[in-house]
Amino acid sequence: MKIFKSKKKKTVLVCCGTGCLANNSLEIYKELKRKAEISGINVKIRPAVKATGCNGLCEKGPIVKIYPDDIFYCNVKVSDVDEIIDRTIKNDEVIDRLLYLDTSTGKRVKSHKDSKFYGKQTKIVLRNIGEVDPASIEDYIERGGYQALKKALSDLSPGDVISEIKKSGLRGRGGAGYPTGSKWEQCDKANNFPKYVVCNGDEGDPGAFMDRSIMEGDPHSVIEGMLICAYAVRAEQGYAYIRDEYSLAIENMSKAIEQAKKRGFLGSNILNKGFNFDIQIVRGGGAFVCGESTALMSSIEGNVGEPRIKYIHSTERGLWEHPTVLNNVETWANVPVIIDKGAEWFNSIGTERSKGTKVFSLVGKVNNTGLIEVPMGMTLKEIIFDIGGGIPGSKKFKAVQTGGPSGGCIPESLVDLKVDFDSLDEAGSMMGSGGMIVMDEDTCMVEVARYYLNFLSEESCGKCVPCREGIKRMLGIVDGICSGRGQEEDIDLLFELSETIKEASLCGLGKTAPNPVITTIKYFREEYLEHIINKRCPAGTCKELINYYIDEDICKGCGLCQKNCPSGAISGQLKSKYTIDISKCAKCGVCRDVCKFKAVKIKGGVAK
Amino acid sequence: MNIVIDGKECRAEHGEYILDVAKRNGIHIPALCHSEALPGQGNCRMCIVEIIDNSRRKIVTSCSYPITKEIEVVTCSEKIKKMRKTIMRLISARAPSSDLIKQLSEEYDLPPETKFKIDKEEKCILCGLCVRACGEVGAHAISTVNRGTIKKVSTPFEETPPECIGCGACAYVCPTGAIEIEEHQGKRTIWNKTFELLKCTGCGDYFMTQEQYEYIKNKKGIAIDGLLCDKCRKKSTGEKLKEALCNVVIKGK
Repeated sequence: MKIFKSKKKKTVLVCCGTGCLANNSLEIYKELKRKAEISGINVKIRPAVKATGCNGLCEKGPIVKIYPDDIFYCNVKVSDVDEIIDRTIKNDEVIDRLLYLDTSTGKRVKSHKDSKFYGKQTKIVLRNIGEVDPASIEDYIERGGYQALKKALSDLSPGDVISEIKKSGLRGRGGAGYPTGSKWEQCDKANNFPKYVVCNGDEGDPGAFMDRSIMEGDPHSVIEGMLICAYAVRAEQGYAYIRDEYSLAIENMSKAIEQAKKRGFLGSNILNKGFNFDIQIVRGGGAFVCGESTALMSSIEGNVGEPRIKYIHSTERGLWEHPTVLNNVETWANVPVIIDKGAEWFNSIGTERSKGTKVFSLVGKVNNTGLIEVPMGMTLKEIIFDIGGGIPGSKKFKAVQTGGPSGGCIPESLVDLKVDFDSLDEAGSMMGSGGMIVMDEDTCMVEVARYYLNFLSEESCGKCVPCREGIKRMLGIVDGICSGRGQEEDIDLLFELSETIKEASLCGLGKTAPNPVITTIKYFREEYLEHIINKRCPAGTCKELINYYIDEDICKGCGLCQKNCPSGAISGQLKSKYTIDISKCAKCGVCRDVCKFKAVKIKGGVAK
Repeated sequence: MNIVIDGKECRAEHGEYILDVAKRNGIHIPALCHSEALPGQGNCRMCIVEIIDNSRRKIVTSCSYPITKEIEVVTCSEKIKKMRKTIMRLISARAPSSDLIKQLSEEYDLPPETKFKIDKEEKCILCGLCVRACGEVGAHAISTVNRGTIKKVSTPFEETPPECIGCGACAYVCPTGAIEIEEHQGKRTIWNKTFELLKCTGCGDYFMTQEQYEYIKNKKGIAIDGLLCDKCRKKSTGEKLKEALCNVVIKGK
């Protein structure tokens, strides 16, 4: 038990990001606040208890931080509140059992900065998240918020702003990596008013929550980014398109817009500089395709969310046929820092053609799942093993999927790949918006391809033939392979369809849709062939190709499997060997999950 | 400006679409979702061509790619041919029941489909022309509904559409004959709705629904000069014109 001395006023930050909220962090916040007020703490040191956005280490939530002593508590429960108040707040003691356990050293660390998870990160976009109360514009201003806007309006001409963003080398974080400065410049050159500035908050990739966390945890940085762009391209109206499922993001963005209006950062004659700008929130209806820029604009206009032909750029003819700058949430959050600290500073971070940092949501078979921000050029190995803490349960790392349904699977052999826009493209994947799904040896790569095809077949808008019909047919083929009906010529047919879908589809959704299939065939062809020729699923996940059985030599006869089997397929007597009736087995895998002795095994059977 | 299509120099206006220029110059580019009366949609993707701009090759849909500079267009490269065949196979697997699609499948030398599951009854290729035409007329009685593989053309809530005026524009533009329109004893049935037809005062043929007549006259405010079918109107206009010309000639004398 360490004792520290601190006479400064304490601030207690309770993570109220979506992950921690789901684990009851709001109750912890309320309880801390209540106890702090009634516990008789001397008024001078009464702590300020604040609810913040996501700290990133969602795996270890709920998270409570205490400043200025820089204490980081994880997995906090409501029942821990009394102890935190009594020991840490009143008596300056650190509660060891609540500290983060660094598995590589076996030691507990007091400050989050001492852990590998945070130590290797560079927080630019996430600079305020977990540190400020998103509902408080004062918190944002205290940390330098709206200074970049002041600087832009007072010291820089619109042209200066654009050239600063161009010099910074910032590329769009929404997926394609288009140079942000060039986009603004094109819009600036278009002489057709009014112009619009749009924020794409329609994050829809499975397993991705970067934009959500930014909007929830630091909405003002997005607003400030949009304001700076509006000043640069001379736009007066902005739209923030946020998917309706993100209720907390919508709530926090709405509050932030109201506060910014009250403070004179939004509205007419902003900062007395004669500049007008307003932002309206548009709630998306939950179609994945509406993350595509032109579909998003159609949706704002009140039309069906289908992509438009974009041989003429949106910067020239976008929303309501007017010049429009559309950037992703993360791109917007980068802008104020670039203006504040300068292009050169930003340019010094990252790789030659990918500057700055990238936020990833690190999920799947990895120990530290959560939200991370790393400089461009960090290797996959560092991300997955140092920050992510490796693969749980001593399983082997197999592949990582980046870029969501538009991206691809990168195999273990490329683990030293430096992550940036171009290297991921070369590997057949893409940066996408920043989802990173880690897979271990139990993941079937054919099944992964099937999952994404299924997702895309439902989420394609259905407007153009290659995407709608092509994905459907690819799904049919991969479905067949997964269920033992695959034929050797299927792989060629998949490639043939992929080529047409990639080249001839109308929008980015179709043009990238075959990536998961192409990369899994490229790096895991053997696994496909094993399914096709030997009708075997090496990972043991394709239900129609496997059977469960109980290894008699290991079974202790505890009966747990029988108790949990939902289809009544397991028979046997306590303290004797149990068996599975294959004809009744639904292959759900519950028996395997509950068996403490690892007696339930998978046999790569032949399809019926 | 001049552009080159398949080696042929063609005159083109700024903003004109490749497909239109090609057509004017007798160069055939296949297209299934294109109608001269409507703007290009780029849905069927059959009209893809390769454009070469500053020695960079790119695939675009000719129905909707506006010409803004002097480019070279290749309409039938090996790559394009291969892709068109794949697209045709996908369309054919979707709508094998349409006569046009059957005919095109033969033209593209497609073997009978054995790999993909097909719906033998289906004729619609979801080109979207019907929806577009209905919108242009102003009725907005039909739309595409759903997305992805379950997308289809439908009336609101799949009920008889109150907005439909029975003009038949949707069925007229449909390239695959997927929209059923039936005319029998002075009645027209379309989208599950039956309309009374009006007779042409010239030839006596049924030609227009009562709702269509009302719509043009009242909603669009277009004055209708007598109830004449297309043929008779042309004839009558011709006669009037002839008469007027004669008068001019006589007066001139």
